[in-house]
Amino acid sequence: MTIKKRYLRIAHILFIALLLIQLLPDQATYPVYTSLLVRFAVGTEIVVLIASALVKKEESLALLVDIAGFLFVFLAIWSLVTAKYNYLNPQLFPAPGKIVHQFVVDREKIWTNVRSSLLTIIKGFVLATAVAVPLGLFIGWSARVGSAATYITKFFSSIPPIVYIPYGIALLPTFKSVSVFVIFLATFWPVFAGTMSGVLGVDKKIIDSAKVLNVGKLETLFKVILPASLQQIFLGCNQGLSVSFILLTSAEMIAAKDGMGYYVKYYSDFGDYTRTITGLLVIGFVVIGVTFLFNKLQNRLLKWKH
Amino acid sequence: MTTNKIEIKDLTVNYIENKRSFNALHDVSFGVADGEFVSVIGASGCGKSTLLSVLEGLYAPAGGTVQIDGKELRGTGTERGVVFQHYSLFPWMTTKKNIEFGIKQARKDVKRGDRSRIADEYLTKVGLDGFGSKYPSQLSGGMQQRAAIARALAMNTEILLMDEPFSAIDPKNRVILQELLLKLWEGDGSEPRKTVVFVTHDIDEAILLSDKIVVLTAHPGTVNEVVNVPFDRPRKRDELVRTDEYSKFRNRLLSLLYNDIAERIGGDEVVL
Repeated sequence: MTIKKRYLRIAHILFIALLLIQLLPDQATYPVYTSLLVRFAVGTEIVVLIASALVKKEESLALLVDIAGFLFVFLAIWSLVTAKYNYLNPQLFPAPGKIVHQFVVDREKIWTNVRSSLLTIIKGFVLATAVAVPLGLFIGWSARVGSAATYITKFFSSIPPIVYIPYGIALLPTFKSVSVFVIFLATFWPVFAGTMSGVLGVDKKIIDSAKVLNVGKLETLFKVILPASLQQIFLGCNQGLSVSFILLTSAEMIAAKDGMGYYVKYYSDFGDYTRTITGLLVIGFVVIGVTFLFNKLQNRLLKWKH
Repeated sequence: MTTNKIEIKDLTVNYIENKRSFNALHDVSFGVADGEFVSVIGASGCGKSTLLSVLEGLYAPAGGTVQIDGKELRGTGTERGVVFQHYSLFPWMTTKKNIEFGIKQARKDVKRGDRSRIADEYLTKVGLDGFGSKYPSQLSGGMQQRAAIARALAMNTEILLMDEPFSAIDPKNRVILQELLLKLWEGDGSEPRKTVVFVTHDIDEAILLSDKIVVLTAHPGTVNEVVNVPFDRPRKRDELVRTDEYSKFRNRLLSLLYNDIAERIGGDEVVL
């Protein structure tokens, strides 16, 4: 990449525009923490500049820079309609600096809630995957029950897992365990179905190859059928993961004492929309982060496909 | 009397498709001597691949016997190396790992540490030096088949079963691969040659490679004729194809293959 391609980007101009806008006088009647917004923007710009120097692939860099560009535009408009010209109801639409401020003030509380949510997700998700994949392999492999199981799975996966919550509450001692249970169900069926369809779709020639190499039954299942159906399994996992986040945050809004959904619901009940928006954004970042890491894992394990 | 390495007697195979059973092979008998290269040719649907499936142990015959070294064949076994037309290699393993896996399965005496060295050795033999860390999807079809051959050879089996291994390869590379196989199989005389059963629909391929050609007739698959290939080894394609003997022999095989089809369809109007 040439220096020009690396550093001469419209996003940097947008960054400067954003800074210039911050020089305008604040018309809002509440503290808008302009300096915090500026620090956040500068931090983002520094990350972009470091990435510009380090990232090797041109497309990935362009993507990152463009996203930052959008962010700067968004922040500029947001601060104009709130802090700078006070067009919007400050109660419902707090200035961006105020959100950054709230995040800094609440960071420990937010971290506790994020951790609680993530732990619940991980427990339910890992447990479901650990049961669904081997079970799907075994049942999909035995052709006779395989197709029957497909129909049963279709039935169970058609039930939106959220309706299990009341029954889960009756069944299990704590709300935490109910959350894990519901996430387990939300993940189990798609992963189970994905595994089975993966197994049923494995090319017969691959199985023949394993047979002529005298690969044992169990080894065939885990060393041949499993990798051959990995893509389908990941399809199920992705579905389970995204549904899990929806479910968990909904469940936390209903009855939990912590978690990201709880944070959002709790403060919106008090009309504290600054914290509500802060919570929404944090949830967005957490989900993006988890999805990103999961995709990395998937790409690594499926490297041989491309 | 010498016994054959592989002895097929009155082999009958029924195939079940859409709940209807049909006779894929009927009373097929022939033998393959130790160290002999035998090709099985025939029109598509004549059951040549089915025949190989039986030898691979993937398909059980309805009647007749297959003996290897005088023993009845039962199921699959790593004393037979197999190369398929597709998917001989596991796509999630690198080329080298595929070969190492084959060695692990077939040669229990080879220590774990030696597998890598043997795999490299065979990668070199088939001209895939430096491609060991590639996944099959990163290789061309021809290179994949080289790797599959490398694995089958690295398994050090006495018998090699090849099911149209070069049919999906473009003509130029097919010729190169045939010559590679010929060279590897003929060897330098230091080691005994492997017993090969090679299925193909390419007559020139069969002539170039084989000691003996089994011509199958379709519906049901029966042996039309077993023909000995009268050309000396080591063979050179360029020299071989220019001789009159080659053309004559080739025509004879063609007539064996196509007379049969013509008869079936009904005489003179058949243009092939």
